[in-house]
Amino acid sequence: MLTAVPPASARASSSRTHGTVVRGAPLDQTLARLDAWLEPWRERVRERAETGSRRDRAEQEPPWALQVPDVGPSAEVLLADRLLHALLPAEREGLLTWIRESQHESGAWLDVHGRPDLSITALAYWALADAGDDRSAEAMVKAVRVVHALGGAQRANFEVRLWLAMAGQIDWSWLPAIPAELFLLPGSMPLSPARFSPWARGVLTPYLLIARAPARLHLADASELLLRRGNEALVAPRLTRPGLAGDLLQAFDRTVKLSRKLPRGPLPRWAQQRAQAFIDGAQQEHGGWFSARPTLLSLLALRVMGARSDDPRIARGLAYLRAARGRVLTPGGTVALAQGLLAAPMGVCAGLLGTGLLPTDAAWLVREQLHDRGPWQARADAPAGGWPLEPGARAHLDLAATLAVLETLAQLRPEDAGAPAAWSAARRASAVLLAMQEGSGAFARFERGETEVFMQRLPWTDGDLLAYGRDGDATHVQLTADALTRLCAVGLRAEDDRVARGIAWLRQAATRRDPPGLSTSCAIARAAAVLLPESDDLRVQTERRIRNRQRDDGSFGSLLDTALALRALVELGHTCVQTQRAVRHIMGAVEQADAGLGLQAFGGGFGLSPDTVDPTAAARHCVAALRAYAVAASAVTELRA
Amino acid sequence: MKPTGAHYDVVIVGAGLAGCAVARALTRADTTARRRILVVDRYPGVHPRFSGEWIHPRGAAVLDALGFGDALRAAGAIDVDGFAVFEHADATPVELPYADVTTEVPQGLSVHHKVLVRTMRRALADDRIELVEGLAACELRRDGDGRICGVVFEDGEGHTCEVACDVLIAADGKGSTVRKLAGIADRRDTVGFTAGVEVVDATLPVPGHAHVMLGAWGPVLAYPILRRADGSIVTRVTFDLPKDLPVKGEAIKQYLLRAFVPFIPAPLSGQVAAAIVARRGPLEMAPTVDLPAPPAVQPGLALVGDAAGCSHPITASGMTMCLRDAETLGEQARRRADAPMGEPWLDDESLHRYCVEHDRYVPTRQALATAIYEAFRGETEGARAIRRALFDYWHSGATARRRSMSLLSCAERRPSVFLSEYLRAAGHALGGSFVPRHAWHFPVADRMRQARGAASLARDKLGLVANVVWAQLRPGWLRHSWARLPWPRRPDETEPIAGRD
Repeated sequence: MLTAVPPASARASSSRTHGTVVRGAPLDQTLARLDAWLEPWRERVRERAETGSRRDRAEQEPPWALQVPDVGPSAEVLLADRLLHALLPAEREGLLTWIRESQHESGAWLDVHGRPDLSITALAYWALADAGDDRSAEAMVKAVRVVHALGGAQRANFEVRLWLAMAGQIDWSWLPAIPAELFLLPGSMPLSPARFSPWARGVLTPYLLIARAPARLHLADASELLLRRGNEALVAPRLTRPGLAGDLLQAFDRTVKLSRKLPRGPLPRWAQQRAQAFIDGAQQEHGGWFSARPTLLSLLALRVMGARSDDPRIARGLAYLRAARGRVLTPGGTVALAQGLLAAPMGVCAGLLGTGLLPTDAAWLVREQLHDRGPWQARADAPAGGWPLEPGARAHLDLAATLAVLETLAQLRPEDAGAPAAWSAARRASAVLLAMQEGSGAFARFERGETEVFMQRLPWTDGDLLAYGRDGDATHVQLTADALTRLCAVGLRAEDDRVARGIAWLRQAATRRDPPGLSTSCAIARAAAVLLPESDDLRVQTERRIRNRQRDDGSFGSLLDTALALRALVELGHTCVQTQRAVRHIMGAVEQADAGLGLQAFGGGFGLSPDTVDPTAAARHCVAALRAYAVAASAVTELRA
Repeated sequence: MKPTGAHYDVVIVGAGLAGCAVARALTRADTTARRRILVVDRYPGVHPRFSGEWIHPRGAAVLDALGFGDALRAAGAIDVDGFAVFEHADATPVELPYADVTTEVPQGLSVHHKVLVRTMRRALADDRIELVEGLAACELRRDGDGRICGVVFEDGEGHTCEVACDVLIAADGKGSTVRKLAGIADRRDTVGFTAGVEVVDATLPVPGHAHVMLGAWGPVLAYPILRRADGSIVTRVTFDLPKDLPVKGEAIKQYLLRAFVPFIPAPLSGQVAAAIVARRGPLEMAPTVDLPAPPAVQPGLALVGDAAGCSHPITASGMTMCLRDAETLGEQARRRADAPMGEPWLDDESLHRYCVEHDRYVPTRQALATAIYEAFRGETEGARAIRRALFDYWHSGATARRRSMSLLSCAERRPSVFLSEYLRAAGHALGGSFVPRHAWHFPVADRMRQARGAASLARDKLGLVANVVWAQLRPGWLRHSWARLPWPRRPDETEPIAGRD
């Protein structure tokens, strides 16, 4: 199990907490213990807030990552370093340690949910082989066997095939053809790359440039990862899904690739210039391009297009990647270095600060709101506002982060000095929130229309990468429920047609074939608690679904799930036996936890790593749930008795 | 305290703004000084609930004409200059100054309601008016023709007294007891609640103006209401709350802090928050009522002020309407000043004339208030389109603002102006729906949804517009429905009251 290492001060203070008699009721003690565990993490956020603009400080100290997916990004950073030459020896060794020690005994590398993953295994094997690990070692042989068993590297995801093509291991025709001319289309056209999700834009634009550049990456041979037929011929991957439409698309793909050999006038050059201009313009204040993977590919694109290693764009991008690395505990107990997707997710930062908000924290959050126009405003009719994916990202709105910041800022008291500024920011964010509602009633996270990319309708095997999720998926259901809860907090009611549309969409999403999971049900329950009457079907069924998930030990699954369920039940107006059992379970789990072990939980990612490990999520949500319970039921008194 | 006489020419129930103004208007109309007027109010002192405090220039002119203006200003009333409307807290306000409306005096008047009532009652003491406090009307008397000819009052201890009168005037507010006793049906609907808080020396973005701030669930109003002796100015801030309050009691303060205060521009927001936090005890609350104008008269009875119809206070026209009622009744009384003593001062013809005039301006006011409140709340796509259209229209030029202000301040009553304003707003709403403000690739489906909403709302309001236009065009000779309809007759009450003076 992956465990992010809390800062050294966290471990120290946690030990102190365990060694000290904490006075007060059991619930107070639990809250105090959680607070002591979270305090160093908060301090790291505050430290980053203070030194955010001072890159030198960030480079001197090993930064930390709040969200790490799997070994995939770490392996890619190692592979890309063949061209970028930016990793320090200690960093390289830390990343390799992380990859080596994360390997499962089966030989596979697992995703965050513990399932063997072909793409991660292929990348990890290749990174180790490139670093000089003995390919005949048992672990490496096992890894190759796993890759073959899963269909060979040619069946891996787009990212792996891109690396193989960049290294000359496979032909570029194994990747889908994206006509460069698409970049010349106006943004309102359905086929325009402007309609892709921001992550997909960040990946496909450098892909276009890299694919057209003559330069190749000199990496270790990875041909053993590719599955061959008996006569040694490589098994070419199918780029489209089976069926007539897929066959036609495959033919179209070949046509596009063939047409590249024909003279097409200045269009390709213009398109390439447009793509290059996009890369130049999309680099954000923090140095990155949306997140780690787009940044890595953009850096490679810049290099293959001729940028020197001392180019300021390259330097800033590398600094961003460095800031997104963090120390992690491997399953073997070693402290290693892992590449995260983001340097510091704003939503997590806001959630952490919300567990012990200071006026200075609120002031920092207010400063970090979006002031500049961004691509998210293409289809969202609202002035600049809300919060980005991470501090310093001035272009990309993240509605999930916005909701987290709004919840944190709502804790400010009117007499606090920063309250009027926070109100002003919250007001603008509320307008953004409303503008990000889709016609269906759902809310978009990054850009409106992110789940409905036209090209996704074509039967590409990699088509899903173009969009961010799908309409009605768990991410969007939770986001919509959270957005409705927040809108209710600022006074909107179920009579408002926008809220009504959101509720109708939630009803539809909740009654689909697959019942929503626990965390999704909890988000729906919180929205239903403030917007729907007690007798409403959605509210009743959601509550029942949550209650049925409680186990004998009082938990609802993981500690995070238990905290979410407890909070949902409390906000539904219950302080029943089930909630008391959940409280006792959390108290017991926190009592037994040592320096954060067991408090980790999954968080949301995107692109090729839709899930990440968020080491503070469970602790943060436990604090919120226990506080809500204490307020609702005067729990301190009850539990003391 | 009881009335000294057994018969009065006019008995006015309610000694608020409407009652006092009517009493003064009638006194001024009584050039021969032989009429007896009794004013009765339920509450000794003033009504405990906060009420209207903003008077448009049309009403301020009536107050001055009735001689209350100087006394009110001496008591702390403030001359005010118009409205400042904020589409949202970060927006530049649209100023709608009274001075642009050249047909009226350039300033209105704003005054703390309790100060207003106390001052007006004090001023009545100099007139030939008998003012009795602490009595509530509990029964009406009718003569053989069904005409109201007397009223029974009851004090707080259950003691009753009865007086006869030629005309009874009900000025006892939107929940009028007299209206109920007279059997006049009403379609009163509680729209919601208004919570109010007073802020001393608030920093108003546009001093001397009533501020209408949008963005929260309902509009927030802020306007100066009192200049104290020490020079400080008290500002009233009101919050429009939904009918089914999301929270009750002390929690309303937290609700206001969370859901309303953030939508007020700084630094006023901080001052309002501090005032809410500092407030001890519950906030001042009053229901907001939509009362489509009921028949304003019956033989022997006239309803004035809120008793004769009221609407949401968003246009702040309630008090101005009260004063126009008083002015109209005064004109009718002056016309009959020389009527012989045996005849009622305000006969049926006078009441009919009052009713015709009243019915011309009240529907306009109510239609405007209803439409603007709906647009400012913005709960539907159409309402939001109208709201956007209003601001676009106001930004389009001074003429647009002047025409709107003429209607809002009750200075304009021509149906052509009302109709043209409606058409312009609808046109802007439809046109503006297709044009996004910030998005550069706004989906066509969104534009169409907005346009459909605007068109649908404009269509729904056609009946309202027709009603207003008809109210203005209706010929005076067309008798009011009350004249043709039988009013409630109670056989046991047909005997005239004995003991007339």
